[in-house]
Amino acid sequence: MPSEVLTVDGVWKRYGDHDALRDVRFSLRSGEAVGYLGPNGAGKTTTLKLLAGLSRPTKGSVRVQGLDPVRDRVRALRQLGALVETPGIPPYLTGADLLEYVARVKGVPAAQRGTAARHAAEEMNVAELLHRPFGSLSTGLARRVLLSSALVGDPEVLLLDEPTLGLDPAARHDLRQVLRTLSREGLTILLSTHLLEDVQEVCGRVLFLRDGALVGDEAVDLEVDPGADGSSRVLRLRFGSDLPLDLLTRAAGPDVRISRETPRQVVVRFAGGDAEQAELLGRIIRAGVPLLSASAPEPDLARRYLERVGREDAT
Amino acid sequence: MSGEFAALAHNARWEATRLRRSKRIWLLLIPVVAGPVGSGIADLYLQVPSAGTAEVLGLLITAGLASLVVLDLTALAVGEDLALRTHYLTFALPQPRVAALAGRLAVVVGGTLAAYGVGAVAVGGLANALVAPASAAPTPILVPLHLAVGILGLLVFLGGVTAAAGIVTRSASQALVAGILAGVVAAGVGSLFLIEGRLTTLFPWALAAAGLVGFAGCLVQYGRIES
Repeated sequence: MPSEVLTVDGVWKRYGDHDALRDVRFSLRSGEAVGYLGPNGAGKTTTLKLLAGLSRPTKGSVRVQGLDPVRDRVRALRQLGALVETPGIPPYLTGADLLEYVARVKGVPAAQRGTAARHAAEEMNVAELLHRPFGSLSTGLARRVLLSSALVGDPEVLLLDEPTLGLDPAARHDLRQVLRTLSREGLTILLSTHLLEDVQEVCGRVLFLRDGALVGDEAVDLEVDPGADGSSRVLRLRFGSDLPLDLLTRAAGPDVRISRETPRQVVVRFAGGDAEQAELLGRIIRAGVPLLSASAPEPDLARRYLERVGREDAT
Repeated sequence: MSGEFAALAHNARWEATRLRRSKRIWLLLIPVVAGPVGSGIADLYLQVPSAGTAEVLGLLITAGLASLVVLDLTALAVGEDLALRTHYLTFALPQPRVAALAGRLAVVVGGTLAAYGVGAVAVGGLANALVAPASAAPTPILVPLHLAVGILGLLVFLGGVTAAAGIVTRSASQALVAGILAGVVAAGVGSLFLIEGRLTTLFPWALAAAGLVGFAGCLVQYGRIES
């Protein structure tokens, strides 16, 4: 399996004369939980549709575990669990019908289908509702059954579009806990949402999307508090090409803590003030590292959202 | 199982579950039961001149009922998911879309054709049992066997038109209306040919071919749906 499980590479998506996505590029490594934030119409769902094989990019490419989800959909989607938008299920069908169908299509062996369906339903705390028709379930309960369908067959990658929409606070809390657990177990998660809380509790990295363009790709928790005495400093460094981490580590020295956010972006933490910062940047440049920019990251996700995306839909 | 065949089988089973849960499966009994019963009553209480004429009458009754069933089931098989947006879930599953829909259509169209076949056989049996042979009876307006087989072409036509309309309109009800209109046109053209003495076996073949084109168009479009 490639280390980059999901790849969106220079993707454009055009509907009529409107560009829903403009040169979007990012990738998710195995085991990453990444939040995808942006206002209505920013292109979040469009991106998820491309990754789930529901749609084709106008330009560029998307890959799921190295495979094209449209041309090679059976292999690409086998280890993918996806809930994109809010699919309606005919009211006469039960959760058990749906989960068994999904298990069958995902190739779960016949003897394990019941267990797989029940296990997925238990994750979402809806196992007792599986024999009730969708028409008799509330919006929130139906959504939890739909979410459990994405978990059938123990997928390695999860694409979720506004998963907490319509859930009551307790169910929302439970879902976040489930996602945190799944993430710790190594599942790769791309979580599109309006709720910053979802991202803060589940994800380690966040992508900001505005008007179809990616305007931010950074760690969720930046730990930028410099401390009361101002003795430490945090900088986000962006590079012109994918950077071998050991090159940067050698250039920065042993006292600098480095966290990689993307192949071209890291956050560095070091003790000192302006003089130490200037010295560190000088060392990095002299080592031949293609440094594009150095900036102080903002600590608060809500503030960063507002700065990247604007006021609309910030919650 | 290959990907296509597996998807066909899984979705055929899925459609059977849907028919069962929605109780639409009972519709398949209509051509089997109501067709022969209606035709038997006509055999007994109308002055039907011959068993052949009784068969033609019974086949037309059974065909009318089977037509309504194929229209309804096909419209729902194609249009219901698109209207409800269930395809957002099923399209993200690891299966070829075309084979998935083909599996579902195979159940509804194949089921209706089978139900019609059983009804047609029962109609033939009842006609020969209930109508006394008469040596001077006039020749039936159509050859019963030709009609029985030709009606299969009509059913395929109606299914194909409805399926294609379901993709275009993304609505079961509008697909149903399109299918009914197509049925009216087919019946009108068939009657015209019959009156003019130009009705040949080519007509049901042409209907079947048009229906297959409709199914093919529906499947191709289904594979290309983007949202």
